[in-house]
Amino acid sequence: MEALAKFGASVYMLVGEVRMFRRHAISSLRHIPLCRTLATEAQPSTSVGASSPPPQPITPKKSTKPRLSTAIILNRSPILTRPLTPFEQAYHAYQARIRRALHQPFPYDFYFKQGSLLETRFNLEEKEREKAAFGSGFVQEEWQDPVKAEADKAAVKVLAQQEGEGEPLTPRVHASDKSGDTKSLDRAGERNLYLLLKSKENGKDVWRFPQGGVEKSDFLYQAECGEKMDTWIVSRNPIGVYKPPQVDTSSPEHVIFFYKGHIMAGQVAPAESIQDFAWLTKQEIEQQVDKEYWENVKDMLSDF
Amino acid sequence: MRLHQREYQADTPISIDALFGPTPQSKHQNFSKSKSANNHAIRSRPPHPCSPPQRPNNRSPPSPVNLVTREFAPCRLEDHYHTTLQEDLMYMTYKHEHLPRPQPRQIRLTFDPNDPYSKNRYNPPVGGSRVGKKLPPPSTPNNVIKLEKVVIHTMVKEALQSKSNLLGAIMAMRTLTGEGHKAGGRHKVEGVQIVRGKKSVGGWIRPGVPVGVKVELKGQSMYDFIGTLVEFVLPRLREFNGVVLPPESSSVNTPSAVSGVVSFGLPPQAMGFFPQIEVNQDSYPKMYGMHIHFVTNATGLDAENRARALVSGFQIPFIRR
Repeated sequence: MEALAKFGASVYMLVGEVRMFRRHAISSLRHIPLCRTLATEAQPSTSVGASSPPPQPITPKKSTKPRLSTAIILNRSPILTRPLTPFEQAYHAYQARIRRALHQPFPYDFYFKQGSLLETRFNLEEKEREKAAFGSGFVQEEWQDPVKAEADKAAVKVLAQQEGEGEPLTPRVHASDKSGDTKSLDRAGERNLYLLLKSKENGKDVWRFPQGGVEKSDFLYQAECGEKMDTWIVSRNPIGVYKPPQVDTSSPEHVIFFYKGHIMAGQVAPAESIQDFAWLTKQEIEQQVDKEYWENVKDMLSDF
Repeated sequence: MRLHQREYQADTPISIDALFGPTPQSKHQNFSKSKSANNHAIRSRPPHPCSPPQRPNNRSPPSPVNLVTREFAPCRLEDHYHTTLQEDLMYMTYKHEHLPRPQPRQIRLTFDPNDPYSKNRYNPPVGGSRVGKKLPPPSTPNNVIKLEKVVIHTMVKEALQSKSNLLGAIMAMRTLTGEGHKAGGRHKVEGVQIVRGKKSVGGWIRPGVPVGVKVELKGQSMYDFIGTLVEFVLPRLREFNGVVLPPESSSVNTPSAVSGVVSFGLPPQAMGFFPQIEVNQDSYPKMYGMHIHFVTNATGLDAENRARALVSGFQIPFIRR
């Protein structure tokens, strides 16, 4: 009984510590060293049985704090539906045919006034759909007065014109797709696009996601992208982290946290230090960025 | 859209006896009648070869083979979920847990599992099931919140006087959702279901009395319904600013707050804004209000907020009052 009570108490303490840890972790990223000590303290208290590993030796604190930056993966979501593969199209057509064959009888008299124009149109269209699904031999042509049939067809045509049917639709391929303009937000409407900036780092041009240092009361992503757009940052949690290889070991470690955002309106107006920008798909990003950078960011991007 | 209109339209006109079946009341009153009605259900010998095949008279003839139809058209909102929402919701609802979860507190002795007397006995947890205090399952890419079904439900008070008052609501629901009974050979699809009274409340309702109708929508038809609701109905509702959130002081441990279901109601005039109903609104005796429940797979503490995040991703607005 005593042992049980002790066990309960130790678990309870552990829960308290974990809660405290969470609060610290959420409050700021700068508290990371503090969190680490708490986490290492919490581990011995789990030693209820003999199975837990021995406490790890505390690593000596680094003399310099790591330099933190935030990068934004700014995404333009698809604005068009996905194009279907030929297999998917055939599958859908087949399923629609089965559904058509199995469907329950349609109550014409409930939905249409008898002899109304809408009913005539529905019947004509329905005949076309039956033909498309099961072939022209399937639909039995009822005898109809040829004069009336012509009049019906003309009336339906007029109705269709009034409702604006047959007007050309906006093409799925935008002008920027044809011209290869990667700055346009209208390009590749079916794909997820991400903003990439070109800047000079250590004397050479690199493509990377927009990023900035941690400063108070400063919107990080606006530093490089300008204020001429509406964005929405998805979450307060970073979606990834990247530590660039250090050039000289004496300088503090550089850590970049990635956050996801969506562009809602507007366009990028890059800062003067930025040479160029582009909205690219995942596959296009691979060709632009460094290999090392790509290995770290590729899993944060959507394949399609 | 129009190409598939016919697949969505459901059913023959409704016959009331076939729909409701005998209620306990009617069974009691017309005993002889219900006896004769049951005659063909429990049959001692096979039917005469010349007799017509027996089937419920509100159903189409059964398919000679078991066929099940799957997706038959691309679904815009489902694509939207998979390309955009799912990823965002994973990031938004992610809770970092760097340590394994603590075991539940063992503050009371439990039965000895090796004692043959108490071997398979139920060991109740201390303090009940604690439904409202359970933590959500750990965040993984596999259990990102998703919409499981949408349930539309309407109660028709006049059906208590005469059950034929339900017919208008049934037809409206069929038109709204396009779901027929086992339509497309999908054995799980119930179509429009009759909701019956459960309790006896003096002077108002008795068990087994039909009082309402409901439809459960899943998959493609669910997303199509949400699309219609968001694009045609909600923008045209004059006094609708959004689904009202509960006040911040409300309890987070109630069963409704941890079930992961977002519910709201629409007034009767909203039904006329659905384009399916709008084309022949005169055919219905009246317009019916409805409750819409978005059932998600979220469970545990804070499930309601995660469910709201998902539903708002389909452009259903929420406001705080």
